[in-house]
Amino acid sequence: MNCQEFREFALDGPETIAHLQDCPACATWRRRQDSLIAGLRAMAAESQHVGAPANLEAKLVAAFRTHGGTVAPIRAPRMWAPVVTWFAAVAALVAVAFVLNTQRVPKPQQHRKPPAIVESAMADGDDSSFNSADFIPLPNAQQLAPNEDVNLVRVEVPRSTMIALGYDVSAERASEPVEAEVVLGPDGLARAVRFLE
Amino acid sequence: MDSTHPETDDDLLMAMRSGDEQAFVTLYRKRQAALYRFAQHMSGSASVAEDVTQEVFLALIRDGCGYDPERGTLSGYLFGIARKLVLRHLERGRSDVALETEGEESGWPELAVTDDPMMDLTRREGIDALRRAVHALPRRYREVVVLCDLEEVDYADAALILNCPIGTVRSRLHRARALLLEKLNQERSLRPAIGALRPVRCLS
Repeated sequence: MNCQEFREFALDGPETIAHLQDCPACATWRRRQDSLIAGLRAMAAESQHVGAPANLEAKLVAAFRTHGGTVAPIRAPRMWAPVVTWFAAVAALVAVAFVLNTQRVPKPQQHRKPPAIVESAMADGDDSSFNSADFIPLPNAQQLAPNEDVNLVRVEVPRSTMIALGYDVSAERASEPVEAEVVLGPDGLARAVRFLE
Repeated sequence: MDSTHPETDDDLLMAMRSGDEQAFVTLYRKRQAALYRFAQHMSGSASVAEDVTQEVFLALIRDGCGYDPERGTLSGYLFGIARKLVLRHLERGRSDVALETEGEESGWPELAVTDDPMMDLTRREGIDALRRAVHALPRRYREVVVLCDLEEVDYADAALILNCPIGTVRSRLHRARALLLEKLNQERSLRPAIGALRPVRCLS
């Protein structure tokens, strides 16, 4: 055994002891190594009482309780976590932007299907189909003056509307739609109506 | 230890996973001091050591299933987490503070001079000098000394903690001890020079 082998594999064995007897340098080296190890052990023994502060245990027990006392299940490596986080953040941002944008546009009021306007605004002079005698003035509506500009609007209304104007309507057919033309004055208010059936 | 609780770390961990708070406390009390000392030796800072110890056990609470008994002991697993956290602290430079070494206020210790400079290492002053020498080691040598010589972690566990072969642990330990002896010799050779600069007499 040479000095290098002795120092690399300094084990207690017959060869080691023989080398120590023959080599004063390695004997000194060995003595210093032993002293160093003894010093390290003394250092370790001296710090045996050293530990974490007492309040740390209370903090961790509180954390354990908060966690429900159960350990999380096995999870896959969290390499994808940042990607998912960013994706979720972007998706949330887009959703918020969409909601804000939607709220800015006035939402059409939800009514039952409005009376369908089939025909609108009669042009001036185009009154070939307009015969005021066929129209029934609406109660409490202002009478049409001669040569007054009017608009004629075709709508669908429930047949029950005809009851208010003096028509007889059977109860079975009250909910049926019926086509009618409404005369609107220049102020936009309905003045008269005629039923097309 | 409460006799109602199992002895081994693995059994404590299993009980802890099922919500047994006392098992967690037992495991903490069993392992916290060594982890704290390891972090303190590595960082030289008590506050870093406290943070690291806390983070290790929080990780155990949150991610306890990362531990695989077939790969090593729970103690080794916890040291591994502590080591990563310490390295993170060191990389961030958060522990670039003066080492909180006991007895440094008085400057160089008055070591007794003996024929063999290593003979006084088990004395108070010798231990202080040795502690400074350990702190002054490069990180890769310091951690192997702290683990194997101070905390008596076996080579197999140390290899897992340090993520290297057992042979590397042995060779690093060999080199670390050589460096320690070198540093202690240097320190000893400096003391007479410092003593020579002390004023002998005040002339005015």
